Amino acid sequence: MVRVSGKNLAGFAQTLTGTQPKPRVATLARFKDAHGSALDEGLVLFFLGPHSYTGEDVIELQGHGGPVVMQLLLGRCLELGARLANPGEFTQRAFLNGKLDLAQAEGVADLIDASTSMAARSALLSLSGRFSEAIHTWRDKLVDLRMLVEATLDFPDEEIDFLEAARAVPRLHALQSQITEILAKAQQGSLLRSGLHVVLAGQPNVGKSSLLNQLSGEDRAIVTDVAGTTRDVLRETVQIEGIPLHIVDTAGLRETEDTVEKIGIARTWGEIAKADVILRMVDANHGVSEEDHAIDSRLPEGVPVVWVFNKIDLSDTSARVENFAGGKAIWLSAANGQGIDLLRQTLLTIAGWESRGEDVFLARERHLQALRSAQSHIATALGWLQQLELMAEELRLAQEAVNTITGEFGADDLLGVIFSRFCIGK
Amino acid sequence: MLYPECFEVIVVGGGHAGTEAALAAARAGCKTLLLSHNIETLGQMSCNPSIGGIGKGHLVKEVDALGGAMAQATDEGGIQFRILNSSKGPAVRATRAQADRILYKAAIRRRLENQPNLTLFQQAVDDITVEGDRVTGVVTQIGLRFEAPTVVLTAGTFLNGLIHVGLEHYAGGRAGDPPAINLSHRLRELALPVGRLKTGTPPRIDGKTIDFSVMQEQHSDKPLPVFSFLGNAAQHPKQMPCWVTRTNEHTHEIIRANLDRSPMYTGVIEGVGPRYCPSIEDKIHRFADKDGHNVFLEPEGLTTHEIYPNGISTSLPFDVQLTVVRSMKGLENAHILRPGYAIEYDFFDPRNLKSSFETKSIHGLFFAGQINGTTGYEEAAAQGLLAGINAALQAQDKEAWCPRRDEAYIGVMVDDLITRGVTEPYRMFTSRAEYRLSLREDNADLRLTEQGRALGLVDDVRWEAFNRKREAIERETARLRATWAVPHKLAQGEAEAILGQELEREYRFTDLLRRPNVQYADLMKLSTAPADPETDPLVVEQIEISVKYQGYIERQLDEVARASTQENTQLPVDLDYATVSGLSREVQQKLALHKPETLGQASRIQGITPAAIALLMVHLKKRELAERAAHKEQA
Repeated sequence: MVRVSGKNLAGFAQTLTGTQPKPRVATLARFKDAHGSALDEGLVLFFLGPHSYTGEDVIELQGHGGPVVMQLLLGRCLELGARLANPGEFTQRAFLNGKLDLAQAEGVADLIDASTSMAARSALLSLSGRFSEAIHTWRDKLVDLRMLVEATLDFPDEEIDFLEAARAVPRLHALQSQITEILAKAQQGSLLRSGLHVVLAGQPNVGKSSLLNQLSGEDRAIVTDVAGTTRDVLRETVQIEGIPLHIVDTAGLRETEDTVEKIGIARTWGEIAKADVILRMVDANHGVSEEDHAIDSRLPEGVPVVWVFNKIDLSDTSARVENFAGGKAIWLSAANGQGIDLLRQTLLTIAGWESRGEDVFLARERHLQALRSAQSHIATALGWLQQLELMAEELRLAQEAVNTITGEFGADDLLGVIFSRFCIGK
Repeated sequence: MLYPECFEVIVVGGGHAGTEAALAAARAGCKTLLLSHNIETLGQMSCNPSIGGIGKGHLVKEVDALGGAMAQATDEGGIQFRILNSSKGPAVRATRAQADRILYKAAIRRRLENQPNLTLFQQAVDDITVEGDRVTGVVTQIGLRFEAPTVVLTAGTFLNGLIHVGLEHYAGGRAGDPPAINLSHRLRELALPVGRLKTGTPPRIDGKTIDFSVMQEQHSDKPLPVFSFLGNAAQHPKQMPCWVTRTNEHTHEIIRANLDRSPMYTGVIEGVGPRYCPSIEDKIHRFADKDGHNVFLEPEGLTTHEIYPNGISTSLPFDVQLTVVRSMKGLENAHILRPGYAIEYDFFDPRNLKSSFETKSIHGLFFAGQINGTTGYEEAAAQGLLAGINAALQAQDKEAWCPRRDEAYIGVMVDDLITRGVTEPYRMFTSRAEYRLSLREDNADLRLTEQGRALGLVDDVRWEAFNRKREAIERETARLRATWAVPHKLAQGEAEAILGQELEREYRFTDLLRRPNVQYADLMKLSTAPADPETDPLVVEQIEISVKYQGYIERQLDEVARASTQENTQLPVDLDYATVSGLSREVQQKLALHKPETLGQASRIQGITPAAIALLMVHLKKRELAERAAHKEQA
């Protein structure tokens, strides 16, 4: 669902759906693109402020489509003047507009706080190392050009390499083609980071390697019923609905005198420290033991833990998900695949794909939006070869757009680059 | 003794900040006292003899629009005027002048002496008297006490000034002037956050010993540029050229061989110098691959042979200075009149200031100029004017005033200083202004004169001249908007000949003017143009720029409007940041330390995220609700 909040949205709804939806009534409508063709069909709900959640006009759009259609619909809303909400912003607006009372204020603060850290996490998840690198490289080239342009504007008396239009052109063309390429790849989805690191952890012989084999669909790990079979870390990448997950199988955690196994266990702890998600495996037939508590006390804080109660095929338990120890627990069988789907769903939720707050989808949209904006400013800059200060303005706006991905780079930073590169000053 | 007369504003220091501060406070109607250790040096240019330049010229025009003296004094004392960046666009175009030191100083002195409400007095100030957290006046060197509810301190480089020439150093405020040691100790007692900065000047040369014939000359532009809105080229004295020579490999060898005698490179100087105004030893050291650096020989005035060699600021020992100077073309026989030196001085962390330049810790005490960590005459003058008017406003029980970042470079400078502090002497550059396209020299009058009038800073002469210009712009813009160019009413080929292309439909004149290659004069050549075209080039210029830049300026206005809630939301002084839920400890501490006045200021403090701002907004609303609930209960 896409939700839009703001002042005077009647016109917005009219343009988007071609009709004027009645307030507070669910209307079936077609969501139209700029040329009037339908992007999707779905329900539109229109609330007139102040009688809405945020106290402003609110439009809710419920489409049928999956992520791709959703992305188009969101893009259309942005085209019509909306912007992506900040983490927790709907609730914040509701509170600021007097729709929530004092007692709820703490909750609002918590929500903003929580959604901000979640947004930061999602932003990281949405950028693969390769793309992050590409964007940073592009940013550096932009800074390089801005350095020349701004130095030319602010230090005309200096003997710096004066930036002539002729020299700006190839640089601008390069910036334009590179950002277009990055954007194209990003839109194809490969901007998504290489995936979550999911680490299997538990005592020996609870079925970690079996679960790895089950998730990956092949016999990667050697499975025996001898405890301590897995001595080193094994990795396998699996895709769940397009989200890559790196499953890391590890040596079972126990006290041991075996030197090789000891090294394996040390490596397991190393993997656990780097994990995005920990799958905490327990034998369903034995339950959580003293040894398990010893392991739990050493798990890093803040990393989501999913409890997996394995080997339900050996007991009479059915596959299910329950809330457990502040998180989720899944009863499954790694041997026959019972309950594996429940695990996949849970992992997807954790990957941020289906969560209700700031998810990876939205984080990705933010990145795409920033790239599009940077691209359009570079294109405009190319039209201002004879007016250096207007070119400079477009380059500054491109910088502001890409800053939302790469981090703040302000006037002081730019001056710093200029002073370190050129001998400025009489 | 307590001086028998009371004042409303006392200004300490008679440099560019102090003089503008005193003039502004007096113009605004306050009984003002200007105290300087030496009346002879009021308006003294201690460093290079020039005013303006990119970003700085913008500040001068803003000071002028608010009735300040700098632009007019430059028009009266300027011996070379140039427009920089003339081809790069109106926003970065800037005026720069070389000034005759004596004429400039005299022009400032004349204004000070003739300003109603203003009293001058020569005495060094040793103490600032404070009762509780409120300033009450000052005490001078001979124990004379002056009382006033507001004090503007513009001590320049005089606070704990330490002058370095080679490894020798002595206390001084400027070559030839004593430092303000007692005052500096007193300020340190007041527990204001203090730091050290450094700046420097080159040796001055006797022009009679220079062979100018081998150097390139640089002349004034034609037509002669003018600084003040009320000025004209006829006011300018005789114009003089500058000359350009250059350092060479031999110069660099001398410097490299003597770096061990430089206070900069031996750790004697602790203060941080400006990166954009490096000493010659810095240039050679940091940019070793350059085989030469330009040196601009600037005349100090019409009645002296003294020359200011801009580009070789140095703190090397005198014997090295002499061989360095003589290693350059045309300077082989040069005589140094005054040695170059570096000076270290105290400054106070400007994050301790409100946007009015009043200190947050001592009520009624205002700081302006180099004491705030800035450099440059223009930056000082702009701050002085702002501090002066705010001291006056406070003395009159009126609300403080400071232009916003989108209104003036003054606003950019103040906001940068109070939200980000300084790590090196702060100088204005146009790249600091995100609203650069709106903050131009050519519209400084339109941006600020009306506000200046409301503050009592703008006299009738300026106000009437301004209104004439503004009305002419409005009238002619309206006329152009109402005038249409209709294809069939034009002669065959006329549009193509004048506008560069045929018209495919009818256009408003304003729409045609938006085209990059069409000027006002072109439109007036069209056979359907209205009669009596506007003849004032400044009016025409303004119409052309505002039409051509309309798109960008509207976008900036949108941005300003979007940010306005945040900019206008005040943060209560008593806000306990430790009670704001969700803020990290680090953010809480930063906010508690800097006590920003508005949410907008808070958002520009380094490390304050948008989420922190959202949390602050929620907290303020919560406070408001709680207060309202308490109120209801009482009732």
